[in-house]
Amino acid sequence: MEAIEQVLDYARQGNAEALSALYRRFLPGIFGYIATRVPDRATAEDLTSDVFLQMVEGIHRLKAKDEAGFTAWLLRIARVTVAGYYRAREKQPAHLSLPGDSWEDMQAEPLAVQGSDPEADPVQWTEAREEWQVVVSAINQLTEEQRQVLVGRLLLGYDVATVARMLGKQTSAVKALQFRALQSLQRLLGKSHRPLPALQQYKKEEGE
Amino acid sequence: MKPLEERLNDRLEQARLDIRRNGLHPGGLTLPERERESDPEVDGLVVLAQRLQQAHQIQVAPDFAGQLERRLLRRHAELRLQQRIRRYSFFSLLRARPVLSAVLGVCLLVCLMSISVLALAAQVTNPSNPLYGLKRWEQQVQVQMSGSSVAQASLDLQFVQDQLKALPANSAHTEAYRQALIELDEQIDTAAAAIDKLPAGAQHARLASELASVKRDAIQELRSLLPRLALPERLATTGELARLGDTVPTLTHATLVLPEHPNGQATIILEGSMIQAKAQLLVNGAVVDASGTFQPDQVVFAVAWNGELYPRSLGILNPDGTAAETTAITITGATNGNQSGHSNQPTPHGKPTVTPTPHGNRPEAIPTPHH
Repeated sequence: MEAIEQVLDYARQGNAEALSALYRRFLPGIFGYIATRVPDRATAEDLTSDVFLQMVEGIHRLKAKDEAGFTAWLLRIARVTVAGYYRAREKQPAHLSLPGDSWEDMQAEPLAVQGSDPEADPVQWTEAREEWQVVVSAINQLTEEQRQVLVGRLLLGYDVATVARMLGKQTSAVKALQFRALQSLQRLLGKSHRPLPALQQYKKEEGE
Repeated sequence: MKPLEERLNDRLEQARLDIRRNGLHPGGLTLPERERESDPEVDGLVVLAQRLQQAHQIQVAPDFAGQLERRLLRRHAELRLQQRIRRYSFFSLLRARPVLSAVLGVCLLVCLMSISVLALAAQVTNPSNPLYGLKRWEQQVQVQMSGSSVAQASLDLQFVQDQLKALPANSAHTEAYRQALIELDEQIDTAAAAIDKLPAGAQHARLASELASVKRDAIQELRSLLPRLALPERLATTGELARLGDTVPTLTHATLVLPEHPNGQATIILEGSMIQAKAQLLVNGAVVDASGTFQPDQVVFAVAWNGELYPRSLGILNPDGTAAETTAITITGATNGNQSGHSNQPTPHGKPTVTPTPHGNRPEAIPTPHH
């Protein structure tokens, strides 16, 4: 397999195969990042399309030479695209609130949940949809750096050093960000009074 | 013991390496049994990380992935095509062909210089300026380009007015003034000819009236310039005034009556018209002190004569600044009142000729009666 730097060079020169390779390599990470920021899959797919179209249009101007620089560039595009989406809806992600005393406090958003059919099992579908809304709300309350650490470590499978280069930080700082991100998520998700199906397993395991 | 974030990172790193070693999908972060039991403080966080990785909401749908890839490649092909088109655009062509760009650059420079020179030439009023010819050419082109003969006549008239306005600026320079005067004369003739060619009618009458007005302006302007001019330019201006129809002095003949004795008084008789009282005598284009007796169409000057050269020309300078000269000079002796045999007669070219003296072809001095 060619080094990502080589692929980047080819892509910058307009090589279609190199562009495809980059797309396949970074699609899961970028889609994952966006899907944890917006309430439904359709929106996540639209925004992901926008990000990669911008990648195709702007890659010849890219100055980054290594994978960390390229990832940072792509995540920057993704962040701006998500921010644009919320601006367009006159809704800031930071203002999304987690459910308070009752589950009904949570704002209902049209969610399309993969793998569930609302007509077959509406209860399960609604539960899954509402559960993911909680996760999105929790992730939107993290800082951008915390989110990018999670994307780099969990979705793109980078080591700490690569994420540190991507963010321009020390590895110790990345480890701290990683810890605080997961700790905050744990705290925010634990606030929910209603048991969430996808997290039940997690809570069960935590109890053990 | 290591801090929590270090222990958490070790666990996550171990899981990541396990995935790589076992060739598992990155989404499938596993939690090794031994690690889970050994550090309960970070177990919850590791499991949370695992759940996030495995959440089906963040997994890409294969259909979407395939469609988006095709869309990206189409967009990429479009961009490549646009780049290729741009590459052959004008500026790309210039970049690619330095010789062509150099030639075009030179052409552009020449065009700019030409425009600048033409603009500069249009401002020139001095006929002795090398750009003046260019200005005249521009005027001719303008006349040629104007559609109708009326427009051409109007333009010609406009050029006369322009020339008239430029005349005072040239009055300080002898050659330029003379040239400007000739140009004015030619332009008036051109305008008059253009107007004459027009069919009788309102346009013809209007332009003829304008020409008459321009001529009046020209007479006024030339008369106002007279006091500032040197004698040769006054003579030329007087000639132009005559052509414009103004009343100016003219001389038809001059007679020089030599004195009987050396250093005596010679008499100069000038005949012509419009000779004003107190007019001054001109000998060879220079004012000479002499007392005159003025009669209608004639003036008689008595002048001290002490063996000077024969005069080439004699003339008068009127008090109003107009001047006239003649080279038709008859020289006579005072004793017999007849011609002495020395006579300056004008050649066809206007230059006086002198009848040879007994001493040679060019008389050195006026012969005395004793000779």
